[in-house]
Amino acid sequence: MTTTGSQEPRNRPRPGPPAPAGADLAAQIALVARGEAAAFDAIFEQIGPSVYGAVKRVIRDPAQSEEVTQEVMLEVWRSASKFDAGRGSAKAWVMTLAHRRAVDRVRSVQKEAERERRVATAEIPFDEVIEAVESSLERERVRRCLGSLTEVQRESVTLAYYRGYTYGQVASLLSVPTGTVKTRMRDALIRLRDCLGVAE
Amino acid sequence: MKLTKRSQLRDAHTLAGAYAMDAVSAPDRERFERHMIGCAECAREVASLREATAMLGTAAAEPVPAGLKERIMAAAAVTRQQPPAAETEPVVLARGTWTRAGGWFRSLAWPGRLALATAGTAAAAVIAVAVVFGIANSSMQQQIDRAQASSQQIAVVLTAQDARMATGTVVGGGTATIVMSHSRHALVFTAQGLHALPASRGYELWLIGPAGARPVAMLPAGSPGMTGPVIASGVRPGDHLALTAEPADGSAHPDTPMMIDMDL
Repeated sequence: MTTTGSQEPRNRPRPGPPAPAGADLAAQIALVARGEAAAFDAIFEQIGPSVYGAVKRVIRDPAQSEEVTQEVMLEVWRSASKFDAGRGSAKAWVMTLAHRRAVDRVRSVQKEAERERRVATAEIPFDEVIEAVESSLERERVRRCLGSLTEVQRESVTLAYYRGYTYGQVASLLSVPTGTVKTRMRDALIRLRDCLGVAE
Repeated sequence: MKLTKRSQLRDAHTLAGAYAMDAVSAPDRERFERHMIGCAECAREVASLREATAMLGTAAAEPVPAGLKERIMAAAAVTRQQPPAAETEPVVLARGTWTRAGGWFRSLAWPGRLALATAGTAAAAVIAVAVVFGIANSSMQQQIDRAQASSQQIAVVLTAQDARMATGTVVGGGTATIVMSHSRHALVFTAQGLHALPASRGYELWLIGPAGARPVAMLPAGSPGMTGPVIASGVRPGDHLALTAEPADGSAHPDTPMMIDMDL
């Protein structure tokens, strides 16, 4: 076979354009709403690892986590024009999409009864949240703020957020009434919010 | 009754934390969302709590698997975006589609993405035209079916787990970009800046294996700029992809020198 055309090393994906450092996520989303693929690339560089990491915490399975990450990012692409900066930060918008999709995925694949059974034997994941955490300023802050919660508050938050359990499941796991768990979740998030110094 | 109502209200309010973490069952979620419509205070609280949960999420960040970004970018290129709320007329919708494709054309840094962007928009544009002019005759329907089937096939390749992109230089001018999925036995081909051929001739795409050359398709003629996307299915192990210039109605065997030859 005579090769008459030059080519790049085969089967290698080409890297996208570099993301502008520290680019404002909300501004990038506005550009994506106008169809700017370069801005979408920048958004992925900025928040892709957070989306993938958070999704994987809930789903565990790497292949499924990849799929859900792709769904989330495509949702950002599709509905960028619906993002309303007046209703929260761009980061919260994307991460909310991500977490909800991850939770919906695990709940749709797992029969509730089965899940209830599994939940009863699950261990408390706080250590695992703390452990795999590299040092970065933001992570350090989250870690410190999680540490400032009471034990039950922290358990309620980590089981709900990182495991994707409902407050009912958390209540049965911690053997506390559902009303108590609901209250603790709310109190815990208010404390976290104030500690992290985010929003309002 | 009054007491029940008040306790229900308080109950709904305490759900804000669980709701912000998606720690609610589907019926609970629906109930709370209904409640939020009439409770601006609740909506505000949920929004502020979500800033905190977002931080929980980013604290879990980890490096994304290799190739994921490329797959997402390729899938986005063939995914139509939702128009902003103010957009109304169907005519504007069709024009907006083309304009947006133009925007990609200018801004994209990947030749592949740029070319592939039209796959979805071509189908969308055909449909938009049909809608605007109220045309529903069978040939238009066939055209729509073909366009949709082809962009669906393209999407299948682009979103395959093993999709890989490669580019090559075309002898005589231009760049070819392919996205190949071995698991789907298919590839998507696009080219940019191909040298214009006289009307009597056209570019033909081939798969060349040990058993010989199989014609894939004639590239659509005309547009300077970008050509394709063209889908080639039935790719076999060991195939090469080749491009030649042939008589406009195609050849059964490649007669002219290969202008590109890519291992798959």
